[in-house]
Amino acid sequence: MLRILLINDTAKKVGRLKAALIEAGFEVIDESGLTIDLPARVETVRPDVILIDTESPGRDVMEQVVLVSRDQPRPIVMFTDEHDPDVMRQAIKSGVSAYIVEGIHAQRLQPILDVAMARFESDQALRAQLQARDQQLAERKRIELAKGLLMKMKDCNEEEAYTLMRRQAMSRQQKLIQVAEQIIAMSELLG
Amino acid sequence: MAACGQDNGVVTRFGLDQAGDDVFFEDGFKVHPMNEPSVGPLAWVNGSDAPEKTVIDLGFIALSDCASVVVAATQGFAQPYGLTLNLKRQTSWANLRDKLVSGELDAAHSLYGLIYAVHLGIGGVAPTDMAVLMGLNQNGQSLNLSHGLQGLGVTSPEALDRHVHQTRAKLTFAQTFPTGTHAMWLYYWLASQGIHPLQDVDSVVVPPPQMVAHLQAGRIDGLCVGEPWAASAVQQNLGFTLATSQTIWPDHPEKVLGCTQAFVEQYPNTARALVMAILEASRFIEQSPENRRSTAQLLSAAEYLDAPVACVEPRFLGAYDDGLGNRWQDPHALRFHGDGEVNLPYLSDGMWFMTQFRRWGLLRDDPDYLGVARQVQQLELYREAATAVGVAAWGKEMRSSQLLDGKVWDGSDPAGYARSFKLHALSDSSALLARR
Repeated sequence: MLRILLINDTAKKVGRLKAALIEAGFEVIDESGLTIDLPARVETVRPDVILIDTESPGRDVMEQVVLVSRDQPRPIVMFTDEHDPDVMRQAIKSGVSAYIVEGIHAQRLQPILDVAMARFESDQALRAQLQARDQQLAERKRIELAKGLLMKMKDCNEEEAYTLMRRQAMSRQQKLIQVAEQIIAMSELLG
Repeated sequence: MAACGQDNGVVTRFGLDQAGDDVFFEDGFKVHPMNEPSVGPLAWVNGSDAPEKTVIDLGFIALSDCASVVVAATQGFAQPYGLTLNLKRQTSWANLRDKLVSGELDAAHSLYGLIYAVHLGIGGVAPTDMAVLMGLNQNGQSLNLSHGLQGLGVTSPEALDRHVHQTRAKLTFAQTFPTGTHAMWLYYWLASQGIHPLQDVDSVVVPPPQMVAHLQAGRIDGLCVGEPWAASAVQQNLGFTLATSQTIWPDHPEKVLGCTQAFVEQYPNTARALVMAILEASRFIEQSPENRRSTAQLLSAAEYLDAPVACVEPRFLGAYDDGLGNRWQDPHALRFHGDGEVNLPYLSDGMWFMTQFRRWGLLRDDPDYLGVARQVQQLELYREAATAVGVAAWGKEMRSSQLLDGKVWDGSDPAGYARSFKLHALSDSSALLARR
């Protein structure tokens, strides 16, 4: 059963979503206003999905969403009455996987959650790939920099510099990037 | 570039609209590979060659012959091609097979025989179309006997032959996977000495890093395994090396870079880039004795072989000590490149393993030897990769070799070859006719 953290940010006393969720057979964990620390709640509750029911997502809501997306990414579904496309864009940018305007019916919840989770997974994969890509690029730049420094220091050509760095790395059971960082640090130290 | 950056205190998030190829593959990745001179005209001249998948989970087993994979992943050989290689050490070949088939591993340092067995549906799992992207190495496996047998004077092939045929209790030999290269070398060697590997002795499967412990515990009398484990047994005075695999077949095929056919079809550019990176690493290892020596030092680290350098280095450099007082520099020691001779996935190499599966009754019928080899060996992709990094990729698809029993294998008549052995376990009726 899906574990759902439900955040009720509406004026109504009983959130309109809770009954629909229970009817649809979900485990609804919590129900509280947005005065809470959302990342902390996510840490303790460990929900599969976060549902936010809000009349109009304000800056506070967005900030909490961003913190969750950054530190403990989860699929986030937002139910709202807000039609403004700018607000919707802002919400998606902050990390909302599905933005649903009006109309909550028990029978629609499952497909909405399915889409949100699929979307979340593909976002996560994309994010991981981009991070690997960024790291790869950064490492390449550092290795190039170290190679250049070494070529100057040892007065050797590019291939010789790579070979020296690799041999040093391997005989010390390190990765090439580690030796590159050591060369850069040493060169900074010696000015 | 889309990134997880700070924007007025708000962390921006990636949109799906940015998932197009252009985002990942900027010019920066294509035009300046690290080893400039070796990049041929086929490499990265247009954006469509960019890898479809950039982060690769690469399996390996703790063996000296995984060197080119480890060097490629850790020494900056993959980054110029836009790949990040995550090394994943596996505890056994069965374990590696399962993860390769399930897709948990994208590609792996694999036994030749493992890839073919899985492809043919005799590898312990449902048949899965497999691919050999390149050869990773040749030679360098050993057949050891226990200290106990040494004490009984069983230190030569003839003495072993006598012992096996005159003693009631069967000896137990360990190999590393039922259809793997070590099983095939063990069977081939024993049979060439007149010992039937399936009737005269028992055999068990033991993961390579556990061989020494099994020998120490007296659970096995002999073993066939890759280094550094055979050398380790010798150094610990637990046994001696009776034969090396290169005496069975000088420059025999051994480990390959294996993956599923589905992986090659889905990510052809990634597969090609992976071969290019590992080819360059293979060439680097053999460029000088210093490179080879520092490779041995890298391999001995806890996260790779987790074995003392003193145990890894000698045989890695071709210096053998058999534990009986014989020392030699081996002309056919473990090698990774040989100007590309090692890496070309010859059809005849793949077919040989099928002939041995047939010989030992692992295959009930003759497979379409050539057809299957053409499907599994990714010759075309290999040639593109080799050309791109300036490695010779000859037009040859077969090679001819003479094995220790005098038989010549050139890939020309696989079914006849499989049937031509005096000792065998062929299971069909035509085989019985052929027997004597």
